[in-house]
Amino acid sequence: MPILDIRGLKAYYITRKYGHASRVRAVDGVSFQVKKDEIYGIAGESGCGKSTLLKAVSGLIKPPLQVLEGEVVYDFEDQKLSILSLREDRQRRRIRGVRISLIPQGSMSVLNPVRRIRESFRDIIDAHLGTVDEARFNDIVRTHLDALGLDWSVMHAFPHQLSGGMRQRITIALATILKPDIVFADEPTTALDVVVQRGVIQLIKKIKREQMNTVIMVTHDLAVHANLCDRLAIMYAGKMVEEADVDALFSNPRHPYTIMLLKSLPRLGDRSVRTSAPGAPPSLVNVPSGCRFHPRCPEAMERCRSEDPELVEVEKGHRVACLLEEGSR
Amino acid sequence: MRVHSHSSQSRNAQSSEPLVQKEHSKLLEVDNLTKVFTKGQGFAKSTITAVNEVSFSLELDRPEIFTLAGESGSGKSTVAKLILGFEEPSSGAVRFRGEDIARTRGKAKFMKDVQPVFQNPFETFNPLKRIDTYLYETERNFRMSKAGEYPLVERSLELVGLSLTEIKDKYPSEMSGGQLQRVSIARALIPNPSLLIMDEPVSMIDASLRMSVINLFKELKRQQGVSIIYITHDLATAYYVSDRIAIMLRGQIVETGSVEEVLDSPLHPYTQLLRASVPVPDPANKWQKDIPLSDIEIREYSRKGCKFAGRCSKAEDICNECEPPDYRVNGRYVKCHLYKTA
Repeated sequence: MPILDIRGLKAYYITRKYGHASRVRAVDGVSFQVKKDEIYGIAGESGCGKSTLLKAVSGLIKPPLQVLEGEVVYDFEDQKLSILSLREDRQRRRIRGVRISLIPQGSMSVLNPVRRIRESFRDIIDAHLGTVDEARFNDIVRTHLDALGLDWSVMHAFPHQLSGGMRQRITIALATILKPDIVFADEPTTALDVVVQRGVIQLIKKIKREQMNTVIMVTHDLAVHANLCDRLAIMYAGKMVEEADVDALFSNPRHPYTIMLLKSLPRLGDRSVRTSAPGAPPSLVNVPSGCRFHPRCPEAMERCRSEDPELVEVEKGHRVACLLEEGSR
Repeated sequence: MRVHSHSSQSRNAQSSEPLVQKEHSKLLEVDNLTKVFTKGQGFAKSTITAVNEVSFSLELDRPEIFTLAGESGSGKSTVAKLILGFEEPSSGAVRFRGEDIARTRGKAKFMKDVQPVFQNPFETFNPLKRIDTYLYETERNFRMSKAGEYPLVERSLELVGLSLTEIKDKYPSEMSGGQLQRVSIARALIPNPSLLIMDEPVSMIDASLRMSVINLFKELKRQQGVSIIYITHDLATAYYVSDRIAIMLRGQIVETGSVEEVLDSPLHPYTQLLRASVPVPDPANKWQKDIPLSDIEIREYSRKGCKFAGRCSKAEDICNECEPPDYRVNGRYVKCHLYKTA
């Protein structure tokens, strides 16, 4: 049973300048399902629409971002809910933090620099549980921090007194204190050092084990995905081009873009020549016709210029959007 | 091809070498370089030793790619700034072709020979200025050719795999990060430098384009004989591209040697931790056990003794008391008491 079902989602940034509308097609017809209790990874380069996808799915839609089409349905055990039909901000706010929660990227810009960490926790708990008394508050936070292996003394610190890694771990603690059913993580390890990055990945795994939630992990770093995720989707220029179990995706990539990405990854202990594809990812204002990858694809055919391939299942649990896969459907 | 240790024995050994020969054999010598930053005022004044007695050197006749790797706050970017002359060292010296850069920095001859490439290509270029003007200006400012003629612009663009028609009259916003970084490197190549200092040159570039820039480093070394100091926190690309590597921790170099030796069989416990923390892009090799995390990273600067002792599983009493010298182990230098007998 999927806990999250996304169908035909189109989210564009629409801006008007001098009467001329410009449309950034950041998410352009994406459909996928996330199962309960899994870690679902979304990978792609900058500007492929992965962060916008996360915004649209979690209902953080503010102009110029608009959702033009599509459905996002959450199926919690006791409640089924279509987040895009919750028009009022108040309704959406009620499920955020409790049902779904977001671990944002820049921990320095998330935590208020002039307030102690304790007050950030207070804000979240008061907003959702009503004003709780001091003893109950301490109890909730202490249990949570203990479970995550964080020291109680951080509660009295200001954000600038903590290292970047510690701040990111506190941001994660804040996002998960109310035991949300789904945790969205937007590049939580980017800009962290490798040792700290490993700690953050460890922490996300630990939370998932203890709170039994579903995690949707967005990062451009395929090595992080390989370590963390159960299933992985690859995005290119606003579309999903491949989706599979993480083992299948790494051992048997089928979309030419995925193959190229994996080929270009440097690995420790291997100095053989790595290459990257010619050209650059397209601008989402002006996407190529047909398959969006065709200008860079080594296997592009004449048809790729005009036909846009659908994401179809080519093997059990392995979906690919490429005309080369037509025979294996 | 060796890194000077700053233990007293090796300094003596060094001074017994004839001085003249030494000056001619080194392209770059970083000698006991130290940079102390002060922050705050009055009673709140405190100091941080961002670079602490760092020494290494590059040979004159053998171009190489030398990586300075380390976490953020390890002082690697400060070393780059000191070499480029953007900052003045608190003590120690940087010698380029045998001459102390305290005297030569800011002079055209030095600037021609040592060129920087910065991290974020979108910040390197003024968004309101056409990119080709940067190339023309560089050629004109260094008086590389006759006035009004720009033969080097096209040649250096060719070296990085671009052509003038591709970038003519374009603004930075019209190009991808990978292309811009190539232009940035092309600009650095115009004065025909012998040393490029690259501070995190690919961290802002998309994965599918990153390797094209990294491969360019190898080409430049091979074809142009340019030496490169590659500053990064990404050990995977460092392994792929460099010849030698120095691992920095809290302002100090803790291990140096050939990149294969250092990363395939790290000796210093910190290098071992770093090596184990690099995620492998292979789901069959997921991390199995958890590593201990430190909450006291900031305090490590002011530690007496070994900077890593607070996190090290092999730490002994001596590690907290006195700072380890650089021990030489099979052609490598390791700053760790474990190798005292070796």
